[in-house]
Amino acid sequence: MVCQIGVEILVDDPIDAAAEGADRPVLELESDGFAELYQAHSREIFYLTLRLLGETHKAEDATHDVFLKAYKKWGDFRGDSSARAWLYRIAINHCSNLRQSWHNRNLVTGADESIWENAAAASDSPLRVLETKELGQRIQKTLDALSDEYQLLLLLVADEELSYDEIAALVGQSADAVRGKLHRARKAFAAHFEKTV
Amino acid sequence: MKQQTKLSQKQETVAEQQTQSNPAREFANSDELLRFDAAQTTVPPEIARRLEQSVGGLPEPKTNWWQRLLGGTD
Repeated sequence: MVCQIGVEILVDDPIDAAAEGADRPVLELESDGFAELYQAHSREIFYLTLRLLGETHKAEDATHDVFLKAYKKWGDFRGDSSARAWLYRIAINHCSNLRQSWHNRNLVTGADESIWENAAAASDSPLRVLETKELGQRIQKTLDALSDEYQLLLLLVADEELSYDEIAALVGQSADAVRGKLHRARKAFAAHFEKTV
Repeated sequence: MKQQTKLSQKQETVAEQQTQSNPAREFANSDELLRFDAAQTTVPPEIARRLEQSVGGLPEPKTNWWQRLLGGTD
């Protein structure tokens, strides 16, 4: 079965292709359901890798590698979890390995969240943004200041299609523990975000 | 004086237009903010092209177990 994504005809000229369908992934694969898988979930996987790795070119490589792994393992996917959760698991493991090797090379110490958990900003205070143009940079700066665990929890819970149980399974904790940590993570995020203005 | 008033009116209009074109936004919490950020993020089409090249030399993946169960081809 031939599956085609994004545009009707694959365009040879990358510049034209980028201009015509910049927002839509283009993929044509002869495999059962894999192209649909890419179409349905590439945005979420790219976004997760972008915010975990912090750079667009790293996220591009990671997203490519995640879907390549998924392609190779596609026949083994048993449907115990949703396809999205399955892809998230591959992406989280992949980014974790990349970050681990980077941390080992650069001897980075972990973020101390306790300072920010007691900060004045409350997690239920609205976050005001005057300039959306540089919002991505502010978000990245804020996430970079948080622990790996908080980053991951916040990014996963922002995906409305994931249930708390799925998030709990992805981070290897109970749903109750996830809820408790999320409260602190949101608070830490809000406090850091205010400082990025 | 009249000219000054005209100028300040013009400046106000420009400022107003700038505000309208890039309005301040308020997000209830980090979830909403990250959702907005994710929605603004586009997947570079280059990834799909690279992926297509990468899988080109690989054997087709096996059909899912549940597709085989439903009578799909393997």
